[in-house]
Amino acid sequence: MKINNLFKITCLSAGLVLVSCSDDDDTPGVQIDEPTNYVFERDGKSSVSYGGQTTRIAMAEEIIDAFKNSEKTEAILDNMFAHQEGANDFTGTGLNESSKSVRSKTAASKDYFSVNVGEASAIKEEFDTWIAGQANEVFPNWNTEATAGVAGFIQEAGGGSTRYVNAKGLEYNQAFAKSLIGALMADQALNNYLGKSVLDDANNVEDNNNGVVAEGKNYTTMEHKWDEAYGYLFGAAPDGAKPLASIGSGSNQKGDDSFLSKYLDRVNDDSDFTGIADDIYQAFKLGRAAIVAKEYTVRDEQAAIIREKISQVIAVRAVYYLQQGKNALDATTVDHATAFHDLSEGYGFIYSLQFTRKPNSDAPYLTRTQVQGLIGQLMGGTNGLWDVTPATLQAISEAIANEFNFTVAQAGS
Amino acid sequence: MKKLLFLFVAILFVVAGCSSSDDTNSDNPGTDTFNRKALLENIADNIAIPAYKSFKEEMANLKTATSEFVTTADESNLVKLRTAWLDAYVSWQSVSMFEIGKAEEISFRNFMNVYPVTTTEIEKNITDGGYDLNSVSKQDEQGFGALDYLLNGLADSDTGIVAFYSSDVNATKYKTYLSDVVERMDTLTTQVVNDWTGDYRDSFVNNSGSSATSSLDKLVNDFLFHYEKHLRAGKIGIPAGVFSNTTFNEKVEAFYKKDASKALFNANLTALQDFFNGKHFGSTTTGESLKTYLDFLNTIKEEEDLSTLINNQFNLARTEASNLADDFSAEVRTNNNLMLDAYKELQKNVVFLKVDMLSALSIRVDFVDADGD
Repeated sequence: MKINNLFKITCLSAGLVLVSCSDDDDTPGVQIDEPTNYVFERDGKSSVSYGGQTTRIAMAEEIIDAFKNSEKTEAILDNMFAHQEGANDFTGTGLNESSKSVRSKTAASKDYFSVNVGEASAIKEEFDTWIAGQANEVFPNWNTEATAGVAGFIQEAGGGSTRYVNAKGLEYNQAFAKSLIGALMADQALNNYLGKSVLDDANNVEDNNNGVVAEGKNYTTMEHKWDEAYGYLFGAAPDGAKPLASIGSGSNQKGDDSFLSKYLDRVNDDSDFTGIADDIYQAFKLGRAAIVAKEYTVRDEQAAIIREKISQVIAVRAVYYLQQGKNALDATTVDHATAFHDLSEGYGFIYSLQFTRKPNSDAPYLTRTQVQGLIGQLMGGTNGLWDVTPATLQAISEAIANEFNFTVAQAGS
Repeated sequence: MKKLLFLFVAILFVVAGCSSSDDTNSDNPGTDTFNRKALLENIADNIAIPAYKSFKEEMANLKTATSEFVTTADESNLVKLRTAWLDAYVSWQSVSMFEIGKAEEISFRNFMNVYPVTTTEIEKNITDGGYDLNSVSKQDEQGFGALDYLLNGLADSDTGIVAFYSSDVNATKYKTYLSDVVERMDTLTTQVVNDWTGDYRDSFVNNSGSSATSSLDKLVNDFLFHYEKHLRAGKIGIPAGVFSNTTFNEKVEAFYKKDASKALFNANLTALQDFFNGKHFGSTTTGESLKTYLDFLNTIKEEEDLSTLINNQFNLARTEASNLADDFSAEVRTNNNLMLDAYKELQKNVVFLKVDMLSALSIRVDFVDADGD
């Protein structure tokens, strides 16, 4: 314990040295005023805004809940996913009145999909397919026990949770939710709002240099774009200024994490990755402070850190669930429901890898083609997850870890 | 940047240097000459196997009592059967931590003692027939928890319960299900006991190294997992609402019997502490154990022997739990703070056992907390 603390303090001090040095060396005379918390103000009023992200996260939560209600139809789920302003799709306050929708921002980043529109619509259609599968394959079999080749319910060992899977053992709700972490949250944050093409779009730099705020708002457009990236990660936190207040072991029990932030928390709980949540938070904060100080090099350095580490969170989680599934299949008494649940989460995180972003490049850590290859291995047997072997799960795990700076063993426990 | 990197690396070296000079020799397997095999022998020959044999006898009694009740379903036989069930249930508490070997292979604990059970599914099994108790999906429809429901929960009075097995339109089906559940528990128990008394004893004792797959590393993990998940959480924490926003009085062990949950808890707590101390089953004699291992390594924490701290904490938990009612379900409903107090004392030992003891013994944790979603 003592050693750990010492190490933390050392890292922290090294971090402070780093910050102060970089100020001195790179840009003499300019001071970046970095606040303790994610609090930025202009004329005494907050200049931080990411309500649209909070709204979409809340919508996504309701969609995921609806996947587990067999009374819903494909049309109802489709309408929730592609919400139209004023339609009565949600129960949460203000969601129906909102003009935002989840589907419109799925695979919709400027860096990856503004030109690649064919791929963007193919991805949106995959999400539609999961909705259709849940409504038309799984809901009708809600009271049928699943077997290889037959959709239905399957209960975990020890009187555990009941899962609902398709004929190949895949939980569509998990595939949908975990894929959305990549296709909505990570893609929008890493490949849209943190990209120069968005941050520096139109007159953004000039306006930010001159303190010209967006019409009727208290922020410059560049500040707002950065905050929107932040919102896709922390938009559901009870206190957005201090989103890591409850990070640490067991904090998920408070239920204040959602989608991407939930798994940031989980990865941070793994002693091999402790500190990653704070690294990301600090980079967001310093990057935003750099925008205020008009220090765009520092801003882009922070964007690179965020891209690298959020990509890593997704990859660690993919490998983690593959390994959990492998352990479950290796047992003599196989608990298929638990294995399928882990592998369905893993499916979504693998899918999300195509939206990751290598820092200082225009590419994901794994391309869409590579991701499709891995999912083909995972689901390729006649009966999908009923047929997948531990050896295949190990091979997929290694293929993913090889593209990152961690080992299968580090991610797997 | 390069200068900084160098500085950082240099600091790392300083930290690494500190850690190697500060640490006790317990982290170095080269200096650990403790006789692990003697410890494993004591566990096998004087604790696990005698406890299993005793449990097997209780299961045989339960089977006999079941067969008598099925032959003559009256109140007198119900009372006898219930006693046999509770005796076996208490005896189970001495073996449930040994989820290793055959028990691990067949997922023994999950087929024997999942609670709460799903009564709607049990009723459906009885009415529809055609159930497969081998399925992991049916673990919450069998075992001691299912018997709790079948012997205590069908009606408010013994007359009412007996009626299900005598005058009810499905009486034959109730008898069949009761017999099937007991038969399966007995079969699984026989498999596990035969393995221990057969080849497994020697392979267990001879696997005396220190690696993730060695007997001691695995068994210590099983012991800790049982302490955390089944004693601390299952018997106290979950019903008391420690892991949720509400309490669950219906999730206590032996919920339908009402006054047995404390006895089952105490039996399990004692079994776990006795295991730690290497106390022979049914005797006051002690042998090589986790305690003697820690004493051999001379593991000191806060200027006190770690083994003493652990034993003191076991005793504090027992004392705190002595304030609880026999019926934990009633305790949760009427004064849950006492449940939470007991939980706190149990939780304190998790730190001593899982952090300090494991570090002293150089054993790695091989389980992770489940996701919960």
